[in-house]
Amino acid sequence: MTAPVRERRPLYPAARRRTGREPGSAWADLVLVLIGVCFLLPLLWLVLGSLDPAAGHATRIPERPGLDNFAAVFTPALLFRPLWNSLLLSAGTGAVTLAAAVLAAYPLSRYRSRFNNPFMYGILFGTCLPVTAIMVPVYGLFVQLRLLDSPPATVLFLAATSLPMAIWMTRNFMDSVPLEVEEAAWVDGASRLGALRSIVLPLMRPGLGVVFIFVFIQAWGNFFVPFVLLLSEDRQPAAVSIFSFFGQHGAVAYGQLAAFSILYSIPVLALYVLVARGSGNAMALAGAVRG
Amino acid sequence: MPATPRQRQVLRYLPVLPAVVLLLVFLAGPVLWAFQASLTNAALTGRHARNPEWVGLENYQRLAQDPVFPLSLGLTVLFVAGSAILGQNVLGLALAVLMRRARPAVSATVGTAVVAAWVLPEIVAAFAAYAFFSRDGTLNQLLGRLGVPDTDWLYAAPMAAAVLANVWRGTAFSMLVYRAALNSVPAELLEAAHMDGAGPWQRFAFITLPVIRGSIATNLMLVTLQTLAVFTLIWVMTAGGPANASTTLPVLAYQEAFKFGDIGYGTAVATVLIIIGAVFGAAYLRLLREQKP
Amino acid sequence: MLRRVSKTVSLMAAAVLALAACTPADPAGGNRTIKVAYQKTDSFTALDSMFQDAKKEFEAANQGVTVELQPIQANDDDYGTKLALALRSPSTAPDVFYEDTFKVRSDVDAGYLLNLDSRLAGWGEWTKFDAGAKEAGKADDGGTYALPLGTDTRAIWYNKKVFQAAGVSLPWRPSSWQDILDTARKIKASNPDVIPFNMYAGKGTGEGTVMQGFYELLYGTGTGLYDKESRKWVVGSAGFKDSLTFLQTLYRENLAVTPAQALDPNVWKKVFGEWFPKAQLGATVEGSYAPSFWQKGGSYEWPAYGEEMGVAPFPTQNGAAPGAVSMSGGWTLAVGAETKQPDLAFNFLTTALNAKNSLAFTVASSQIAVRTDVASDPGYQSANPFVKDVSGLVAVTNYRPATSEYPRISAAVQEATEAVITGNRTPEQAAADYDTAVAGIVGGDKTIRK
Repeated sequence: MTAPVRERRPLYPAARRRTGREPGSAWADLVLVLIGVCFLLPLLWLVLGSLDPAAGHATRIPERPGLDNFAAVFTPALLFRPLWNSLLLSAGTGAVTLAAAVLAAYPLSRYRSRFNNPFMYGILFGTCLPVTAIMVPVYGLFVQLRLLDSPPATVLFLAATSLPMAIWMTRNFMDSVPLEVEEAAWVDGASRLGALRSIVLPLMRPGLGVVFIFVFIQAWGNFFVPFVLLLSEDRQPAAVSIFSFFGQHGAVAYGQLAAFSILYSIPVLALYVLVARGSGNAMALAGAVRG
Repeated sequence: MPATPRQRQVLRYLPVLPAVVLLLVFLAGPVLWAFQASLTNAALTGRHARNPEWVGLENYQRLAQDPVFPLSLGLTVLFVAGSAILGQNVLGLALAVLMRRARPAVSATVGTAVVAAWVLPEIVAAFAAYAFFSRDGTLNQLLGRLGVPDTDWLYAAPMAAAVLANVWRGTAFSMLVYRAALNSVPAELLEAAHMDGAGPWQRFAFITLPVIRGSIATNLMLVTLQTLAVFTLIWVMTAGGPANASTTLPVLAYQEAFKFGDIGYGTAVATVLIIIGAVFGAAYLRLLREQKP
Repeated sequence: MLRRVSKTVSLMAAAVLALAACTPADPAGGNRTIKVAYQKTDSFTALDSMFQDAKKEFEAANQGVTVELQPIQANDDDYGTKLALALRSPSTAPDVFYEDTFKVRSDVDAGYLLNLDSRLAGWGEWTKFDAGAKEAGKADDGGTYALPLGTDTRAIWYNKKVFQAAGVSLPWRPSSWQDILDTARKIKASNPDVIPFNMYAGKGTGEGTVMQGFYELLYGTGTGLYDKESRKWVVGSAGFKDSLTFLQTLYRENLAVTPAQALDPNVWKKVFGEWFPKAQLGATVEGSYAPSFWQKGGSYEWPAYGEEMGVAPFPTQNGAAPGAVSMSGGWTLAVGAETKQPDLAFNFLTTALNAKNSLAFTVASSQIAVRTDVASDPGYQSANPFVKDVSGLVAVTNYRPATSEYPRISAAVQEATEAVITGNRTPEQAAADYDTAVAGIVGGDKTIRK
C-alpha cells in the first residue's frame, strides 16, 4: 500500500461507505483494465470493419477508411423500414410485458400466499425453453386464430415469452419499496391499485426502466419469431433483414455487415444509455434479490 | 356488501390475470403441444406431415440409442457449467469486487464495455465472435505476437470458443447483480472482522460470501436457465460442427425439427432440455432453502 | 373494488376481440386472387424480377385477377422451413410456389402438391421442355407435380494460369480419377503455395459437399446411392469405398485445402472471391452457376474470368462410358394441392414459364435452360463463355433420390466424408458406419447390397 503515513483512519470511513468503495489499489485498476480490453476487442473489430471497404476478419486500421459500407446499407428497404418495424415490435413488447409484469408482481410481492413461490418457480422454467422448440405449435395456433402476419399478435407472443424474467425482476424491485409508504396512503383513503399507480410505481421508476430495456433488447435481437409469424416483406424487423444479408448461399460482405450491425445496434445502445442514466443505481438493483 | 375472505383473496390476485392469460395461451399451450408432439411422428414434410401417428415413447427410445444424444447432453452441461456457472458467475463477481476497489473512472469505463457486449443483439454478437475466432481473426492476431501459430479455433476448439463467446456476451448481468449484492453487505460486519485481524481474503470468504448467498443462488439459477436456451450464438459461430462437436441440445433440437423436418424427434429433444432445466432448478432451490434460517 | 375489477376484465376482453378484428382479412376470401410464394435475397433477385413481369403479363391478360406476390427473404434452409409451415394448413398454403427439386417427392407424400398431368396434356409448350429436366418434378407414381424453372450441372472449373505455370497442357480433359491425381501432384510439385484441387467434404458445406464432390465420384463408379428398380438404398458398394479413398488421398497428400478449411461453411466464398481471381487455386468442382458469382452484379465480380478460367467434365473412375459425370439439382414451380383456384394457378405457371420469362430468368441466374427454344436462343448461348460446355453435361447428369429420408442419408454421407478427410476413420470404417446409419434411417429391409 502506498498510502502515506497519517493518523490511523478507520478502514471504512463514513464517506467511503456512501460511495461503496473500499481502499483503492492499483492492481485492481490494472486487472479491471485488462478485462475491459478483452471485452472491447470484438467490438473494436466491428467498428473498424465498418469503416473499411475491404474489411476481413482481422482487426486492423483501415487502409482507406470511408463510409462506403454505411452508404451501401443506408437504403429504406434494407435499413429504415426494418428498423422502424423493430422499434414497433420491441417497444410494443416492452410496454405489454411491463404492464402485465407490474400487475402480476403486485400481489406476488405484497400478499402472502402459498401459491406465490410455486408460481414464481413454475414460470421460471419458461426461461430455459429455446423458442425454436415451440414455433411449430405457435404457428399452428396463429393460423387457427387468424393472427398470422399481425404485428400486434406477434408482440403479444414476444411479451409472453419475456414475462417469466420480467415478473421475477419486477417483483424484486417491488419488494424493495417498503410497505409502510403504501400503508400511509391506504390510511389516507387511497385504493390498492390507486396506491400502486401513484406511490409505488414512481418509486420503482428506475427498476421499471431496467425491466423495459431488458425485454426490449431480447425482442430487438429476436429473428426466428418474427420470421415465422410475419409474412409481408414490409413488416419484417431488422433482425430478419440482417440474416437475409447473408445471401442465398451465404455470401457475406464483412464491411457492410459490420456497418449494418452497428446501425442495428445503435438504437439499443442509445436506449440503454438513456435508461441507465435515468435509473442510476437501479441497474445494480436488478439483482437485489431475495431468495 | 363486504366480500368474504375467499372472495377477497381472489380479487387480490386478479391483477395476475393478464400475465397468466398470456402465459397460458402463448407459452403453456405450445409447450404442452410440444410434449404431445414428441409422442408422435409429426413432421414438416413427407407422409406424416398431414397425418402424424401416435408412436408413444419411440422418439425417446431412438434418442437414447442415438450416439449424438449423449454427446449433445454432455456438451450442453459443459456449456452451462463453463459459461454460466463458472464463467459469467465468477467473472461477474470478480468484476463487482474489483470495481469496489478501483478508481471510479476505470470502473465506469470497464462497466460500460462489459455492458455493451450484453446489449448487442445476439446475431451481431455471434458474428463478431465468429470473426474473432477465425483463422485470420483477432485472436490469432494477438496470439501470433506471442509466437503461437495461426489456428482455426472454430474447428480446433469449437466448444471453448462458444463458452468464451457466451461469457463475453452475458457477464454484464451477473456483474450488475453482484454489484448490488455487495453494496448490501453491512460495512459494520466487515469493520468488525478487520478489527479482529481478518485479512481481505478471509473477510471475503467468511463474511461477504455467506451474506450474499441468496443472491448467488438466484443469479446462478437465472443465468443457468438462460444459458440452457442459447441457440443463435452457437448456430452462427459453428452451426454445431465440426462433426457435432458443438451441438448442444438447442442446436440438436433445431436441426432435427427444421433441417430434417422431424418435429416429433425435435420436440423430444426439447423436452429433455426442459427436464434438465428442472434438475438444475431443483438443485438451486435446495441451495436457496438451505440458507434460510 | 369489484366493479372496477369487472370493468377491467371487460376492457381486456374487448381488447382481445378488437385485436382479432384488426388482423388482416384472409385474402383467400378474394375470389380471383392467387398467392405466389418464392425466395428472394440480396444476391438472388432474378426470380423476383421474373415474377413481377409475369404478374403484369397475367393480370393484363386476365382482367379481374390479382396476383399476390409473397417473396420470402431467407436463405435456402429458412425458406424451406417457412414454406413447410405455410403448407401445413390450407388457409396459409400459397397457390403457386418455388420448390426445391430435393423436396418434391416428400412434399408429394405429404399431399402438398397438385398433380398437373391432366393440365399439362393441354399445354402445347410442355413438349418444348427437355425430357431429363421433366424428371425433376416427377414423383414415385410417375405423375408430374412440379415444373422445372432451370437446372444446373456440375463440372471442374480450373484456373488456366495456374495450370499453364505447372506445365499442364490445355485445354485440360482428365479422363479418369488417376488423371486428376497426377495433374494435382504435378501442380503441387511446381508450386507448393498453390492449392491444386479443391473438393468439398464434411458437413460444413452441407449439400454442396455431396452434390459438388462425393456424388461426382460415386456416380462415376457405376453404383449410385439408390437402386431405382428395387427402390432400395445401396450399401456396401465398392464404389462408395473407392470414392472415400479418393478423397482421403486428395486430402492426405495436401492436394486440397486443409481439413479445417474444408469444414468451414464459408470456404466457397474464398474459392470464388479470393483464390481463383488471385490464381492461388488450381481447380474446384462446382455447379454450372459459377459464372453468376463473377459476372457483373455478382458477389465477386471478376471481369477476366472468361479468359482465365476453363471448364472440364468430371471423369468417371476409369474412363468408362459415358466418360463424364454430373449431378443436377435445380428448382421448380409447383401448385398447392388445396388451392381454390387450380386453373388460374396453373395458367399463371404457364405464363411464368413461357419462353420470354424463362429466357430472362435463366440468363439472370446463370441456370441451364430446360426449354429447347430457350436453349437455342442466341441471348442464352452468349450469356457467359461456358454455357455450351455446361449445357452439354445435361446428357450425362444424375438426379438425387430425393425421398423424405434423403436429407438424413445426405447427412450420413457428409459425415463419412468428414471422418475420412480428418483421418478419424479409414474409408472401410467410414463406409461401414454409413451402412449402419442408412439401415437405421430407412430400415434394414430397404437396403440392398451391391
